[in-house]
Amino acid sequence: MPQEFVGPSIDWFALSPLLVLLGGGLFLLVAGALTPRWPRGWYALASASTAGTAAVLSVFQWSIIDRDGPGTLVAGALAFDHFAQFMTILLCSAVVLVSLLCDDDVRGTDREGPEVFALLLMAALGGVVMASANDLIVMFLGLEILSLALYVLVASDRRRSESQEGGMKYFVLGGFASAFFLYGIALLYGGTGSTNISDIVAGFQAGVSTGREDALILAGVALLLVGLGFKIAAVPFHVWVPDVYQGAPTPITAFMASVGKASAFAALLRVLVVALPFHRDDWRPVIWVLALLSLTLAPMMAIVQTNVKRMLAYGSISHAGFMLVAFEAAGHRAGEADPGTGMQSVVVYLAVYSALTIGTMAVISLVSRAQGGDTRLTILAGLATRHPVLALSLTLLLIAQAGVPLTSGFVAKFGAIQAAVTEGSYVIAIVAMAAAVIAAFVYLRIMVTVWMSTAPGADRQMLAYVSLGAPADDADGDAADGDAAAGAAATSTSTATATSTEVDTTGAAIAPEAITLSTAVVIAATVTFTIVVGVAPGWFLDLAANVTNYAR
Amino acid sequence: MFVLLALHLLIGVGIVASGDRLGRRAFAVAALAPLATVVWAITQADAVLDGRPVVVEVTWVEQLGLGLDLRLDAFGLAMVALVSGIGFLVCVYAVGYFSHPKQGTARLAGLMTLFAGAMLGVVMADHLLALFVAWELTSVTSYLLIGNDDRSPRARAAALQAILITGTGGLVMLVGIIAVGHTAGTYRISELLADPPSGGVISGGLVCILIGAFTKSAQAPFGSWLPGAMVAPTPISAYLHSATMVKAGVYLVARLSPIFATTGNWRLLVLVVGATTMIIGGLRALRQYDLKLLLAYGTVSQLGFLMLLFGTGQYQIAQAGVALLLAHGAFKAALFMVVGMVDHEVGTRDIRELHGFGSAWSPTLVVGVLGAASMAGLPPLFGFIAKEKALDGYVEHGDFIGSGAIVIVIVIGSILTFAYSARFVLGLFGVFGTDDADPRSRAAHAPSVLFLAPAAVLTVSTVAAGLAPVLVDRLVRASTLALQPGVTPSPVELWAGFNTALVLSLIVISTGLVLTAYRVPLGRLQRRASDAISWIPSAEQGFLACLRGMTDGSKRVTALVQNGSLPIYLAVIVTVAAVAPLIPAVSVFPSLPKLIDAPIQIPLGILVVVAALGAAVVRRRIAAALMLGAVGYGMAGLFIVQGAPDLALTQLVIETLATVLFVLVLRFLPTKWADRSPAIARPIRIGVSTLAGVSVFVMALVSSAARDDVAAPNISEEMIARSAPDAKGNNVVNVILVDFRGLDTLGEITVLLVAAVGAVALARTGRRRLIPGRREQGHARPDQGAGS
Repeated sequence: MPQEFVGPSIDWFALSPLLVLLGGGLFLLVAGALTPRWPRGWYALASASTAGTAAVLSVFQWSIIDRDGPGTLVAGALAFDHFAQFMTILLCSAVVLVSLLCDDDVRGTDREGPEVFALLLMAALGGVVMASANDLIVMFLGLEILSLALYVLVASDRRRSESQEGGMKYFVLGGFASAFFLYGIALLYGGTGSTNISDIVAGFQAGVSTGREDALILAGVALLLVGLGFKIAAVPFHVWVPDVYQGAPTPITAFMASVGKASAFAALLRVLVVALPFHRDDWRPVIWVLALLSLTLAPMMAIVQTNVKRMLAYGSISHAGFMLVAFEAAGHRAGEADPGTGMQSVVVYLAVYSALTIGTMAVISLVSRAQGGDTRLTILAGLATRHPVLALSLTLLLIAQAGVPLTSGFVAKFGAIQAAVTEGSYVIAIVAMAAAVIAAFVYLRIMVTVWMSTAPGADRQMLAYVSLGAPADDADGDAADGDAAAGAAATSTSTATATSTEVDTTGAAIAPEAITLSTAVVIAATVTFTIVVGVAPGWFLDLAANVTNYAR
Repeated sequence: MFVLLALHLLIGVGIVASGDRLGRRAFAVAALAPLATVVWAITQADAVLDGRPVVVEVTWVEQLGLGLDLRLDAFGLAMVALVSGIGFLVCVYAVGYFSHPKQGTARLAGLMTLFAGAMLGVVMADHLLALFVAWELTSVTSYLLIGNDDRSPRARAAALQAILITGTGGLVMLVGIIAVGHTAGTYRISELLADPPSGGVISGGLVCILIGAFTKSAQAPFGSWLPGAMVAPTPISAYLHSATMVKAGVYLVARLSPIFATTGNWRLLVLVVGATTMIIGGLRALRQYDLKLLLAYGTVSQLGFLMLLFGTGQYQIAQAGVALLLAHGAFKAALFMVVGMVDHEVGTRDIRELHGFGSAWSPTLVVGVLGAASMAGLPPLFGFIAKEKALDGYVEHGDFIGSGAIVIVIVIGSILTFAYSARFVLGLFGVFGTDDADPRSRAAHAPSVLFLAPAAVLTVSTVAAGLAPVLVDRLVRASTLALQPGVTPSPVELWAGFNTALVLSLIVISTGLVLTAYRVPLGRLQRRASDAISWIPSAEQGFLACLRGMTDGSKRVTALVQNGSLPIYLAVIVTVAAVAPLIPAVSVFPSLPKLIDAPIQIPLGILVVVAALGAAVVRRRIAAALMLGAVGYGMAGLFIVQGAPDLALTQLVIETLATVLFVLVLRFLPTKWADRSPAIARPIRIGVSTLAGVSVFVMALVSSAARDDVAAPNISEEMIARSAPDAKGNNVVNVILVDFRGLDTLGEITVLLVAAVGAVALARTGRRRLIPGRREQGHARPDQGAGS
């Protein structure tokens, strides 16, 4: 006699951040489509306030978890813990900032309308689902929601072929990555008998899984790592990053670097640290290798770039390497009562990096818009004389990314290194420091360009000089080689760059960038965060220390 | 102490923010910060010299163990005397130097104040991490100061070189600091001193720390940035690159040597590097014609000397180091100031263009001669006392391996120092002046009193400390005690009796005189010798080679890894994804199951394989799409044979739909693929596809064989049993979709929704009309609403 069917009890308030994001996105889309064009800025305002509301609701959840401890929602589909709320707040804050940036970016173009903002909310929804998933299928759904929204956002600038190309590449490669992820889930299901993380952990604790299904689990983990490695942009799955980051509209690049990366890291944490601590000795070496490759290769490739967004794209890969260093440290303690500081360092790094990248992209977006969408490094030349405050902000954001003390970037990098050293991963800690030096060189190059007083066009030699520190005449030859190499290497993306290089910009009068209120707010917010966390990081680290109490 | 640091920060930022409004008066404002520090230090001096350090402890980041613990002991006080005392004098001097301020001059003053604050942080920090923070700040401010003239490529290149070398060293040092601090359990220098740790990790960490110290103090082979940094204005060079910043490395070695001199290779490393630097710096100084470069190489040599004194960990020798530290700060800053005055009034620093000065220059020349004499180690000046003490320390107390060799190195280095000091003086008097150069120095206007005063003050202090060493005796002794508590430092005296050190000093002076007398043939000899060894790359060339290698290497890596081709990106990802699961799977590869159940499977299987191969081979797009469809239909047939008609039906419907969609889309594309890829691509593609196929095959076998082992009850039976009573459904697949996994289906619908939204968004933005040319005209104009 079958039992009476009992539906799962649903704590609607606990789900409220998700519901608000979903509702906001749908509302924006439906209402936006049915009504005439809204006054300027209202779409952005709507999406920013939706995301803001979701973030505030998450803060309430935080205090509820403080009181009641972590748990699961909707029959174990979603985790309800500090980590999920931390990521929700992080992702929603990023959406608020990026919405403000997008407002400036789409205004007056054919992209003006509710779609971009609705997609931002949808992507954040996917990210939140990924971060709070307690079931691998649910996590896959989150991944798909996020990815689909991102594909479209990347390709949304239909007037630039780079954007189209980026969207296409991201879509094709991302499709493969999602397929691998799904395949990995299937194998993991075969190995553990469940897709629910709580059940998987319980199964391990009961000692069910032994023998042959180990191979299934390992193969499943390998495929999951391929899928998530693609999303976090770790070498060797990073190949899409430079092309896509460069091609996407600048605010969307910021969005991918913050929301995209943070969600993927959250998912990686759920899968590896929460669900598979019993296999930590199997996956930790993989993380180690990914970290090592990302740390060493990315800055190497960043050095020769002439496009500032491309440079920052490689920067983001090397930042992913740093996060993986901390992740590797967390792997030493996965599943233990004392989780160490690894995971805490990862989330701190994620938050810090998200703020930095959004701020940096805000400045670049502003400057590049004034120069007709050009994103070559030379557009930044002379910024210091046109807009000293803007230049100062950019410099601060860059030195923070380089990890200079008294900025948030130092706190993040230091946390990662310290976690690695605490767990005895000296090799990778030293490699990380060496990589930080090369990466710092890249940021330094951008800074030097910003503070150069010469006009663009005349400073090809200067740039070559900066990049080589050698006498100007032979450095010029090298720079030409560099351009040629880049042009020959990258097919269409760099061809576009190379072609535009030939356009003579000498003597072109540069209109000072018009700083709009919304962008100014974004820059001010990120700079403030950078300084506050840099000077007084205690409160922030305290918050982050909570996240390791996962729901299982 | 924090108030003082904040004061530096405030004044520095204030001056930078005020732009060029202050002009050279900015330096007068900047002088306030070091002046306040000096006054404060004097009020604390008595207690500090009695061995009661001023301690301020502030927790910065508790979670990371980062503290901002400040501690001013006697050695710190000596450093503060250098940093703030000379800082104040340099500021005063700069007012005269920048009599015609250019754009950016005021910024120099602001940055210099910020640097002074950072440097104070270095010498006051008791927490190694706080020290590191301040240390990096000095690198950054130094970078900005060297590169302040942002129009000069030379300045920028030199600045870049300086920060690359010192910054890299700093980060290496951070690793060392973390390794040492983590192993020892404390980052406080005072606690390390009280309880010295040891072990393998510590030794490795110490090497890292030493690399940081060597780069900062321009030791071989990292010293190439210091001469380059001389492009900075002379007040900056006098302050940062002779008196203070370059001493940071020496300072750190001085602090840590009493703790770690006998740990690992610390002493050996310091002594070898210091000795090499001392000799090479001296030799190169001898060949310079630019007075400032001569002093720069002299500084390199003296820094090597200081390393030799502080690196041994023996207090008797370290005591000489403290004396030399103070003496060097005083005479070298004065000499730089003299060079700056010459440069300012005559317009050149090249000794071939100097032909002596008018009588009004006598005070300036006296300052220069006395400074050089102190540098050369002539009695009765402070420099002599310091060198005597050093020789005495090594001869009487150097009881470790190699101390005898170091004595010889010091003697040779001192002879070279004497020789280049003499060269400096002779150059100043115009001995090297060539006939074809314009003898404008004879008619040059003499520097004003204010301009000269700071250098004069330093010279007076050098002479006073030489004649009456009791003035510095207490500071030197207390500093030694601060470095190594519990020892009994000897008094500092001008006449220490007739001892070995005095004999060595006499040898130094007499040989130096000989070298000076025969300088012309010796110079020729030296040039020939250096030509002979010119194949050995210099540190400068090494640095450039590193940079070039990095750039070239990264170009090559980028061209290889990031070539923009989607197929290659895909190949990389697919290969990794195929190989990664294969590794664990192969180890448990089961025996092959029965491959054929029914005869009909054979033709179906052949159909699938042939169609798949055909799809990969044909050149027409539409044909490939149809082949893919054939694969799908073949699969559907296999499903039927296996007894799953519903699955087969689904498969058929989907295949049909996909084929129709393909045909619809292919209308817009060329009918054939234009294969433009190189010949090598084909085998690679075949290889990758084969690999992926093998991987999937193996995975399919392994995973289907693994099912028996799963201990949990078979889930499908339970679902079939419960579908009709629980969900009132007879099709178990439907029940799973809408009931058992209903939430997942809801999520899947959300995914579809997002996909639809995306498609709509793309379609809509594409159709929206644009006002022609508005984006091309420059930045967006928000006041015009876009037509839709």
